[in-house]
Amino acid sequence: MVRFKNRWLLVELIPLPQTHTTSPVTSSISRPRTPANNNNLDGKTIWAALRQSVLTHFGDVGWGAVAPSLTIKYFSPTTSVAIIRVSREHHKIAWAALTLLSSIDGVRYIPHVVHLSGTIKHAQLAAIEHNRVVIARFRALSKSAPGTRDSYDAFLEKSGLEIEALQD
Amino acid sequence: MFFDLNVPVPSRLPASKKGKEKQAPPTFSAAEIETLEAKVDLLVHLGYTVIAFTQTVHKRVDSKTHSNTLNVILQRLKPRPGVVFLKRLTIILDEDSEKGFGLINANVSLFNGYDLIALVPTTHATLSLACLTHTLPSPLTAHIISLPLTLPRLPYHLKHTLIRTALKNGAVFEINYVGALGGDNDPLMVDADAAENGASAKRNWWASAREVVRVTKGKGLLVSSGVVSETDFRAPRDVGNLITILGLPQDAAHDASTRVPKSLVIRAETRKTYRAVLSEPTLVVPPAVSAQLESAMDVSDSPPTLSTESLKRPLDATAPPETTHSGDRSKKKKKKEKGTKN
Repeated sequence: MVRFKNRWLLVELIPLPQTHTTSPVTSSISRPRTPANNNNLDGKTIWAALRQSVLTHFGDVGWGAVAPSLTIKYFSPTTSVAIIRVSREHHKIAWAALTLLSSIDGVRYIPHVVHLSGTIKHAQLAAIEHNRVVIARFRALSKSAPGTRDSYDAFLEKSGLEIEALQD
Repeated sequence: MFFDLNVPVPSRLPASKKGKEKQAPPTFSAAEIETLEAKVDLLVHLGYTVIAFTQTVHKRVDSKTHSNTLNVILQRLKPRPGVVFLKRLTIILDEDSEKGFGLINANVSLFNGYDLIALVPTTHATLSLACLTHTLPSPLTAHIISLPLTLPRLPYHLKHTLIRTALKNGAVFEINYVGALGGDNDPLMVDADAAENGASAKRNWWASAREVVRVTKGKGLLVSSGVVSETDFRAPRDVGNLITILGLPQDAAHDASTRVPKSLVIRAETRKTYRAVLSEPTLVVPPAVSAQLESAMDVSDSPPTLSTESLKRPLDATAPPETTHSGDRSKKKKKKEKGTKN
């Protein structure tokens, strides 16, 4: 009855190019990010950056509240999507720290929380849906005829399996 | 439907302070338009559908040197289906503006080129001016009062009665979230001492924003970006969560970027009516149709249904002959809202 409840945040980290003339959205959504152009982001660096953000904005108290349950459960370098788990009582602190986060390892990002759910199941569904939307956008931009099979199908399947494999 | 009602555009200061003639219409380079397009792309990606571009003026609006830079910009932006662009004028008020800053009836034609008018008071006198006089309904109502949240000390004590009168008159108080992120404010505002950039700006923002939330009790709060460099944009739900940290309940925080700006934009349209009076619509029936109606009404007792649709009160048997008169008798005080909109 006194169950420990969590909140699952689905975050898209939109990278910003250093030059300001090209739109960050069009340049980041026009091609999927390979590890080469991804500035070696991974779960650990995001965790470190988030920790720093909580410490600067909410201090040791805030970090103490959030730390025991803060985990980066999933991160996909191609779509820059992360699933973060926080305890329900202090998820607002973690969410606010995420919003106030502006750069990871010196590269600037815009954290965009796509979905917030109470169960891992819905976070998984939202992640799969988000991946499909992103792939649809890539395909629309590359203007290929609908129905052509390309590497995106493999990506969708692989990431779908990875996401489904997440455990609490 | 999420609103972002403060997207500053690059400003064009009047070339020479001495020149009293109208300046040539300002031009914007292709690079500036591209950066603006990039910002709009990002905003649309994050979920905003209504975007208001802001032109900022310092101290006073001089009818001789003022030019509407937003019209120039809006012409050059590509049209997007499903996204609405609005024009907003922000006037920064300081001690020099206490005697008058151009928001007078003579300049109404200037202000009609903008959908929204906002004031940034920096002294106590200008705050009372803004809250009491300029929120009254008129063609010059400033519906948005934007407080300079990044200044080291909010220059005035926020008196509850002042704020309450402004809210009752329909004004809203604006919070720009760029201060929370420590991002760059509009350079014109920084020059005018209405904003600060830097580490201490963040702390000031949190202090002042919390105070604003406390005094307004969460009513009439508008949240907007005020972001200059596109790295500081955030999605509307993220911003809503930031505002909850200030002590605002979750539904009020969500309202601050949806319901409040929506009613504000509609209310701002009432600047075109006489003192924001919207009369009850009356049906004006052309004579041919009214003749038919009369013959139909001789047959049946109840009023015909088609003419009751647009009225709040059911049409009684004496109404049709009178409605054609009411067009002539139209009291000068009331304008039909539908007529002026088109």
